Amino acid sequence: MSAAEQIFGAGGKRMRPALVFLVSRATAELVGLKDLTTKHRRLAEIIEMIHTASLIHDDVLDESDMRRGKETVHQLYGTRVAVLAGDFMFAQSSWYLANLENLEVIKLISQVIKDFASGEIKQASSLFDCDVKLEDYLLKSYYKTASLIAASTKGAAIFSGADRSVTEQMYEYGKNLGLSFQVVDDILDFTQSAEQLGKPAGSDLAKGNLTAPVIFALEKETKLREIIESEFCETGSLDEAIELVKQCGGIERAQELAKEKADIAIKSLQCLPQSNFRLGLEDMVMFNLERID
Amino acid sequence: MMSMTCHNLDFGTRVLDLVAVGSSSNSSIERYAVKNHGKTFATKVYGARRMVCCRQNISRTRVFSTNTSEALLNGVGQRTAPVLDLKKEAKSPISLANLFEVVADDLQTLNQNLQSIVGAENPVLMSAAEQIFGAGGKRMRPALVFLVSRATLELVGLKDLTTKHRRLAEIIEMIHTASLIHDDVLDESDLRRGRETVHQLYGTRVAILAGDFMFAQSSWYLANLENLEVIKLISQVIKDFASGEIKQASSLFDCDVKLEDYLLKSYYKTASLIAASTKGAAIFSGADRSVTEQMYEYGKNLGLSFQVVDDVLDFTQSAEQLGKPAGSDLAKGNLTAPVIFALEKEPKLREIIESEFCETGSLDEAIELVKQCGGIERAQELAKEKADIAIKSLQCLPQSDFRLGLEDMVMFNLERID
Repeated sequence: MSAAEQIFGAGGKRMRPALVFLVSRATAELVGLKDLTTKHRRLAEIIEMIHTASLIHDDVLDESDMRRGKETVHQLYGTRVAVLAGDFMFAQSSWYLANLENLEVIKLISQVIKDFASGEIKQASSLFDCDVKLEDYLLKSYYKTASLIAASTKGAAIFSGADRSVTEQMYEYGKNLGLSFQVVDDILDFTQSAEQLGKPAGSDLAKGNLTAPVIFALEKETKLREIIESEFCETGSLDEAIELVKQCGGIERAQELAKEKADIAIKSLQCLPQSNFRLGLEDMVMFNLERID
Repeated sequence: MMSMTCHNLDFGTRVLDLVAVGSSSNSSIERYAVKNHGKTFATKVYGARRMVCCRQNISRTRVFSTNTSEALLNGVGQRTAPVLDLKKEAKSPISLANLFEVVADDLQTLNQNLQSIVGAENPVLMSAAEQIFGAGGKRMRPALVFLVSRATLELVGLKDLTTKHRRLAEIIEMIHTASLIHDDVLDESDLRRGRETVHQLYGTRVAILAGDFMFAQSSWYLANLENLEVIKLISQVIKDFASGEIKQASSLFDCDVKLEDYLLKSYYKTASLIAASTKGAAIFSGADRSVTEQMYEYGKNLGLSFQVVDDVLDFTQSAEQLGKPAGSDLAKGNLTAPVIFALEKEPKLREIIESEFCETGSLDEAIELVKQCGGIERAQELAKEKADIAIKSLQCLPQSDFRLGLEDMVMFNLERID
């Protein structure tokens, strides 16, 4: 429990549950629902548990010491507790999921858990691989981030009893918001200071995880490839690489990519009636982009 | 029954090679390890000059019988027991090889499917998975699924196993394997079944990833079985696994642990999955509620009996037989049935345990005390008690080779401690 508090209490924004509630309420109107159902609420809890469990395991996998400015679970309590806490939360969420008794949502979320694992594997097996394409990156980002968000928003719409076209649009919304979110995160890893990030800057690159800004920069700057392939064995080479990424316009092109996905997300909201909740969903997209303006 | 020697020696080794080669593109280490592993076993089994399995078609049963020979030696737990007691073998009509033989084809298909499911994703994962899939796993749980499936088929007039039955068996084995991989990380174990653990070989990261991947895959396949009852059943198991680990971790060296706590923990960690396997198989056969409940009871009590036997063996077998150091449960503070019974008699044991074995030789002393106090014998009785309940639960099934197989499974488990 202490372990869970360490991460539940560590400033998590509860973005995903917020999305579930916003979509639930925005779609409830469409179908004439008065209020959120227990299933909506349970879905939000499940989503947050899965997200948290994945963070705990991720930190073990990345050997990260800091998250959100606080020590990670495994740094404080050891790997064993971290693995156990993560497993327990995955297990709890699977059980609650099963007891929602909705096959479509069960399959949706099970796919997400599978995607998480696939995403980790994909990332782990392509570290420092300069031949990585944008599509690979987007797929990996989908697996690791967007898949859960898309399943949250679609699941919420399903429990509202919305029809198929709406649930599919909600899926597109969540997916593109998720991708946009991931791209922004990846940009911030270059542009923010360690203090702002709550962890060392350039840490993705340092580990060989090549994200959007880097992929774009690699198209322009061959020296960057050399440095990366050397796996930053020379002191100062990481800083040099970060500079190169910035000079080549890698950041700007990544910003365009984030905006592109954000536009698709906004468009997907058109099927919803105007309401404060729909506004909230739009604002979510815009707020994410503002992080890099 | 035929008795074959040299023929099987070669075949057995070749088959293990085939299994390894067929599945992995880049794990030469595993291939080597499996080859040697196979040779060791083949020598031990065939060297003993008694092949307790072949009744039918050699090519059909071969893949399986090699594993089952290992199983004879390994026991139903994850242990290696190179010493085969010939006299006992000659007396006993029961052999794992026999009872697995009736579902040998099913198990072979399972092995192939598992390799492709796990292998599809990534070479590193595949090597890691093979490390444990190939490490002498007896496929006991899938065998149970197949046996119960076939035993209940007759009841409802089904002709053959369905895809769902097979998928259930694969899911069960994936969950079991995933839990072993994570367990070894949690226990910081270096050896399992006489081989290095995944995390010892590939690091903690790969072990966690491989375990997560397999849990995820099995959840996904489970969801796609589209049977809410089974989905809930198995989800409960995954939750129980986690609960069991936590329960164990939080009561290490706690001498106030009661037998009920131990049985609950054993249920969470071991019996729950087996009970869900047997009940799930019956559900997919379309058996009625009373039968599915009986199958649950069978699995649960078999599982408990199995765990108690494992815990007894941790005291009575040598490190060589176990495939890992002896008394390792006790050393870690995990107090099992023999210890709990002994603690009722011997206060000195409590002192030693509470000291957490800080003094050299205190672990050995503790093991001796457990043996002297009759802790082993009482645990054996407990194992038999659960075994009896398991056998009784089978009464609802029509007589068949498969029902016999299920009974034999219970008896075979007990024989490990006779």
